[in-house]
Amino acid sequence: MRRAVAAGMFKKHLAPDDIVVCGLGSTRRAWFEVGAPQLTYNASDPMGTAPALALGLALAQPHRRIVLLEGDGDLTMNLGVLVTIAGAAPTNLRMAVFINDRYETGGGQPLPNPGRVSYVQIAGAAGFPWTCEAHDETQLDRLIPALLERVGEAPTLGLLALHVDPEASPYPADPGPTTQYQDRAAFQKKLLG
Amino acid sequence: MSEPGAASAERVVKALVAANVEVAASLPDSWLAPVLMRIDAEPKIRHIRVGREDDAVAIAAGVALGGKRAAVVCQNAGVLLSANALAGYAHNHQLGFLVLAVYRGLEDDRFHYQKYKGLVSEGVLKGLRIPYRVISRDDELDSIKSEVDEAREIPHVLLLRHSALFPEAR
Repeated sequence: MRRAVAAGMFKKHLAPDDIVVCGLGSTRRAWFEVGAPQLTYNASDPMGTAPALALGLALAQPHRRIVLLEGDGDLTMNLGVLVTIAGAAPTNLRMAVFINDRYETGGGQPLPNPGRVSYVQIAGAAGFPWTCEAHDETQLDRLIPALLERVGEAPTLGLLALHVDPEASPYPADPGPTTQYQDRAAFQKKLLG
Repeated sequence: MSEPGAASAERVVKALVAANVEVAASLPDSWLAPVLMRIDAEPKIRHIRVGREDDAVAIAAGVALGGKRAAVVCQNAGVLLSANALAGYAHNHQLGFLVLAVYRGLEDDRFHYQKYKGLVSEGVLKGLRIPYRVISRDDELDSIKSEVDEAREIPHVLLLRHSALFPEAR
């Protein structure tokens, strides 16, 4: 599954008032490239902290659904955060982990133990109440709605792991026109007025 | 007679509540036990237990991003571990919150394995360009509120000495 196709699936299924948090790297770039309308915060650096940042945002905005689009490299840096998130159990936080077993931005170097890590099993063992795994577009199209909301069930924390193809996504030549704190201020203006 | 540290814990939590802190993310230290127990009992503060202190830092940053106030409660080892996260949220995102860190490793600490933390903590904070103060007396704990108010676009750190947390031991 192409990364852009996966990002497009999230664009298709997310609600207009969902808030997206992106971990650093190729997942973030894929999300921005599909031009989704949802309010989005690029968690950027520090690497490994996007899930905890998303948890904090979910706690501060309990009436908004927060969807974290995370890469496997960023999450591997800090797997223990899954225990912290499961302990906090925010019902308005959803996690999607794009798995390609590589540090794409760094040049495609393999992650530790590539292809043999199950993020779904790790999250489930950490206490996530709902986890699932998508290997192709058909599965992803069915599972994103289930991640977001399941008929007849109360909203719960969930993690969806999805496998995407290795695709070159080199470190950008240009960091973009705005700084992180300018992006942060713009995000807060839209969120808080 | 109240438990050792209970009066200071009350002071800490009252100041956090007065500052509208709604989330406290913590990793324990033995000197923090009364404060953490008091936070647990405070209905106006959501207490989040973390496995690493840089998770607490990122949680606090996320709360700040969402327009609310948060505090990190940990040992000064947590400040050392969180150096990258603190610097990133201070100087890249410019998100503010309070870090309350017990100051282990000074002359009032009998445990040799804590000494290295006393040796390097303030130097690390200076290097990170994070505003910090050392709190040595219990009556200084009331300044937590004003410190939260000032920590708008950069984290502030208060290093809490044993004498502030356990004044009855003096």
